[in-house]
Amino acid sequence: MFASSTHLKFWTFSGENEIKQLRAETSEKYLAKHASGLSEEERAKEFLTQSEERQLVRHFEYVLKEFCGKFQPPMPKCVVGTSLAFFKRFYVHNSVMDYHPRDIMLTCMYLSCKVEEFYVPIGQFVKNLKGDREKFADIILGFELLLMQKIHYHLTIHNSFRALEGLLIDLKTRYKDHCDAEKLRKIAEEFIDQSLGTDASLIFSPSQIALSALLASSSKEGINLDNYVTGTLLLGSSEDDLQKTIYQVKRIRYMIKNQEPLQRELIQIIQKKLEKCRNQENNPESEIYKRKMEEMIDEDDEIRTQKRAKLNEGRETDHELFGPLNPI
Amino acid sequence: MDEQGCPRCKTTKYRNPSLKLMVNVCGHSLCDNCVDLLFIKGSGACPECGTAIRRSNFRYQIFEDAQVEKEIDIRKKILKDYNKKEEDFDSLREYNDYLEMIETIIYNLANGIDVEDTRRQVDSYKKENKDAIRKNQSKLSRDEEYLEMLIEEEEKTSSLRKQMIHDTEVLEKNKKRREKEALIDELMFSDMSAADILTMHKTTARPAEAVDNSSFQPSQTTRYSTGIQRGQQSGLIPMPMTEANPVYHYEDLELERCGPIYPTIDDIIEVGYLSNVRAASESERAGGFEATLCCQRALQDALGGLFYYPELAGQSTSVM
Repeated sequence: MFASSTHLKFWTFSGENEIKQLRAETSEKYLAKHASGLSEEERAKEFLTQSEERQLVRHFEYVLKEFCGKFQPPMPKCVVGTSLAFFKRFYVHNSVMDYHPRDIMLTCMYLSCKVEEFYVPIGQFVKNLKGDREKFADIILGFELLLMQKIHYHLTIHNSFRALEGLLIDLKTRYKDHCDAEKLRKIAEEFIDQSLGTDASLIFSPSQIALSALLASSSKEGINLDNYVTGTLLLGSSEDDLQKTIYQVKRIRYMIKNQEPLQRELIQIIQKKLEKCRNQENNPESEIYKRKMEEMIDEDDEIRTQKRAKLNEGRETDHELFGPLNPI
Repeated sequence: MDEQGCPRCKTTKYRNPSLKLMVNVCGHSLCDNCVDLLFIKGSGACPECGTAIRRSNFRYQIFEDAQVEKEIDIRKKILKDYNKKEEDFDSLREYNDYLEMIETIIYNLANGIDVEDTRRQVDSYKKENKDAIRKNQSKLSRDEEYLEMLIEEEEKTSSLRKQMIHDTEVLEKNKKRREKEALIDELMFSDMSAADILTMHKTTARPAEAVDNSSFQPSQTTRYSTGIQRGQQSGLIPMPMTEANPVYHYEDLELERCGPIYPTIDDIIEVGYLSNVRAASESERAGGFEATLCCQRALQDALGGLFYYPELAGQSTSVM
């Protein structure tokens, strides 16, 4: 389960500071490679700053959610959660300038459809997109393996949706005399949707997020669930655990409440800037990328012909060892 | 076989695929026509390598590779002399060493390595162990005895069966003949009409056949179904005692929870969680899916990880 998962062991960080630091390192790495000679101001002018990167990532997370909402056939929520998780994880260790978020966004969605057993054939997938569908299909299939590699092949995501279901079931079973659980569902689900726009899933466990959602919803409805939490849910656990859990829940609620709103106007500017400073080797529309693809195919051909030559050689040496089969 | 062809008459091989290749002790093959030719002329040498050979040394080739045939011949000869069995050795190690020695000899002779020394070795072994060799040749090992017994048994049962089938056939024939005669007698002498007599005979004939088929019984077997003969005391080979391995002890799998205790499947059913979950449809249940499974999974997801807390020293955790 979650406690023994890669989700916990590799992709849960201690707090926003740690994630910020990791993102800063990623940026630095990219800039060191591509902007080595420039001064600080020049860098800020030509390349994206960290806040700009962050804005861009958040914008595309929002676009991702919107797209999933309009997807045909209708996408289940766990797929949305998984693709957002892939997206977030990818951009912790990779820079926006290295791989354009639009390409990665589509790839995340396609991959998460497969992972969450909601397979959509690539043809049907790109039907939902406007524009050159074949080009999109190529991009998605081209980046799929890269995406998996960059998230270290940790494909199982534990989403908060099922945890929320579990809490509601528990509430209905063990606490039904005190409150009506169905009323809480809608607002709790909205809370979780909002949490997907933050880094909460990279810091807290899904059950904690679900519990915060439930408590937020109950406070909005005017129902008090404190007795439920201390008396029923966490019955029998130590005082220490109880305190820690409550603390985590508070943190989550704070984080979700204080999300910064997206600034739409800036996004356009940032995107234009990105077009100039992005790594062209990973831009599927650039010449360099196309040339690299051709080189790869040529390499493959070369390797294959080499192998064939070796096999033929081997066959000839066999003849020499055993002598002609026909004496005389 | 067809690609190779006989080295002497070459062409005849391709044209006549049923021609058999014979191989001699030096490992070279000849089709049987050429063998005849060779020995009509009275010559005693292999056409390829010139080793002196006799007609009796030619065997029908079984394997395509002449090397293999050569090795088979050598092996047969060697094993005629080196015929000690496992029982003759004190330890497994010695037996294995003996086998290893045999293999080395065969390999050397087959590939022409140290032929002189090897032959000398074989001769000296033969001289030393002449008596033992003779004794072993006459004594069949236990395995071979057992196999022979099995073969005998099979033959006995198959001959018995054949006998029974033959007998029943004869009986059948006689019966049919008798019935026909009875029918004709009745037609000639009885008072009933012809149609009546025919129907009567038909109905009596059919139940009689059914009785016959069921009366066929298997003969008395002399064996228990496990293969042990009745009345025979053990020729049982005792199982080798393995050292007592530590007995396997099952321990329940403990999964880390990081949260409060999960309800078990029994709890789920008793406490009443199931009434708040969608019941499994018939087709789902037929596939093995039960509502308890998804209920348990949801609850585990809700409870697992609740106590997760980043215990990292020296890292300021956040926002508050």
